[in-house]
Amino acid sequence: MTTKESRPLLLVEDNEVNREMLQRRLQRAGYSLDCAADGQEALDKMRELLPALVLLDINLPVKDGWTVAKEASSDATIQDIPIIALTAHAMASDREQALAAGCQDYATKPIDFPELLIKIERLLNS
Amino acid sequence: MVKHSNTDDPWALKVLAAVAALGPKRHYDPVITSELVKKDLVSLIGASQKLEEKLELTHSEARHDRRNIIGAIRGYSEMLLEDSDALPSAVRTHLLQILAAAKNEPAPEPHSPTKSTALLPSEEPGVILAVDDLPENRELVSRLLQRTGHTVISAESGEEALELLDTMGVDVVLLDLVMPGIGGAEVLKRLKDDERLRATPVVMISGQQDMDQIVGCIEAGADDYLLKPFNPVLLQARISAGIERKRWHDREERYREQLERREQFIRATFGRYLSDDIVDEILERPEGLELGGDLREVTIMMSDIRGFTTLVEHLPPQQVVTLLNRYLGRMTEIILEFGGTIDEFLGDAVLAVFGAPRRNDDDPDRAVRCALVMQEAMADINAANSADGLPEVEMAIALNTGSVVAGNIGSERRSKYGFVGHAMNVTSRIEDVADPGEILISHTTFEKLAGEYQFGNSRALSVKGIEAELRVHAVLGRD
Repeated sequence: MTTKESRPLLLVEDNEVNREMLQRRLQRAGYSLDCAADGQEALDKMRELLPALVLLDINLPVKDGWTVAKEASSDATIQDIPIIALTAHAMASDREQALAAGCQDYATKPIDFPELLIKIERLLNS
Repeated sequence: MVKHSNTDDPWALKVLAAVAALGPKRHYDPVITSELVKKDLVSLIGASQKLEEKLELTHSEARHDRRNIIGAIRGYSEMLLEDSDALPSAVRTHLLQILAAAKNEPAPEPHSPTKSTALLPSEEPGVILAVDDLPENRELVSRLLQRTGHTVISAESGEEALELLDTMGVDVVLLDLVMPGIGGAEVLKRLKDDERLRATPVVMISGQQDMDQIVGCIEAGADDYLLKPFNPVLLQARISAGIERKRWHDREERYREQLERREQFIRATFGRYLSDDIVDEILERPEGLELGGDLREVTIMMSDIRGFTTLVEHLPPQQVVTLLNRYLGRMTEIILEFGGTIDEFLGDAVLAVFGAPRRNDDDPDRAVRCALVMQEAMADINAANSADGLPEVEMAIALNTGSVVAGNIGSERRSKYGFVGHAMNVTSRIEDVADPGEILISHTTFEKLAGEYQFGNSRALSVKGIEAELRVHAVLGRD
């Protein structure tokens, strides 16, 4: 299990319905996937599974997405895992904040799925 | 059914209504064969139930949840539509409507700018050809576009589209990518291959999954694309942009045709009297059409057939015309070859100038060389005349150099590029005394010649209006 492709993606999303939908679509697109429903669970699973990439909802209970991203970037064991922030608004400030928090990319909700796939592939192959 | 009417979330209501329109499961479940599709449909319905549960919660967190669920419903419907082969077409239509509802948040009700622009009549209504194999899509497009004043023709196949394009004036084509028979890409290709249709803007319509093909179509000349299900505002915007492009093109085309007609007219009008390069020059200069009067030095040539009037009296009219055309035809060729401008034919007489509308330093020399070639050509003309049983003829040529006014002379109804001035009269006087077969040039022309020629005797004429005698020289040939 050394190649990125063999490691799962981690989807962090507290809204159950949306999480299941994204999980289903991503699996259908050929990715193996693990899920987390809050910020703490996200950090735990990142350390445990070393996912190839994290799709991180920002509006999360327990610890919000920004906190997760900042903590991850200061943890040497997981700081190289690319993170795509999933934000609720297409606001420029979200983009700045996502990049400042250490996310490599961001996608606004509602998710444009083909665009998300392109972003995932770009990060997995970089 | 949606029972909540006291909510302030019209988007959620719209999505719920679209999902509810799917009807009870027993209506569609038996006709779906794929288990995965069934499962996704169940998930979609489940999501809509969650959405309905959250409908009456008013705090902002609930609103956020609803947005997430609407996103999920959108995701499920997109995913299901990717498998549209596995779907009965009625379900597919419902899913398109659900997706449309989930994708587009309705604009806030009172006086939303988005909404009002979307529904205002288009400033420039056009004729739109909507090509889609699905009747419900054709109907949707027609309804949306007719609402803003466009005329919509629809075609249910690529074949029909091509037929309609052939016979109807279409401003914009809305072209579905995936159709049985001739697909959108092929229709596009044929349209772009057809010179008459090439300029018609084409907006491709497709699902997300066909993005690669859309890129190909844009490369092949499609102007734009729309993803299904279309956002009505975007559809209107693309159509308007397409119509505007088409209008610009049409205007440009009309302007170009106008220019071409004008150019043809000028060529036809001047081409008989001016050499091609002078016509080109006039056409290239924007002021070319206004050949205003100006005073310029030119070398004037007058030639005529000696004794022609007497000749005409003894010949049948048809032979006169044959004789004249042969003679004038050949002289015209030679004069134009030497860059002369033919001002007019008067019966057998030719009036030409060298130096207008374009001046050259060697105008007098060219005139003389031209005259020599014209005289030489008489041998051929007479040989041809003899062969036809026509009499042989002799020509006299007079040349004079002087200032004339050149320009469009005449009245508004009839005018021509012509020349006036004393130098014209002088030339005419020289022509009167020139002998048959002779080239007689004024002393003014003689003095301006740079080339070497053989001259015969010079003689003096008295001309009305000139005190001094006018000296003329006979040119015999080149040295």
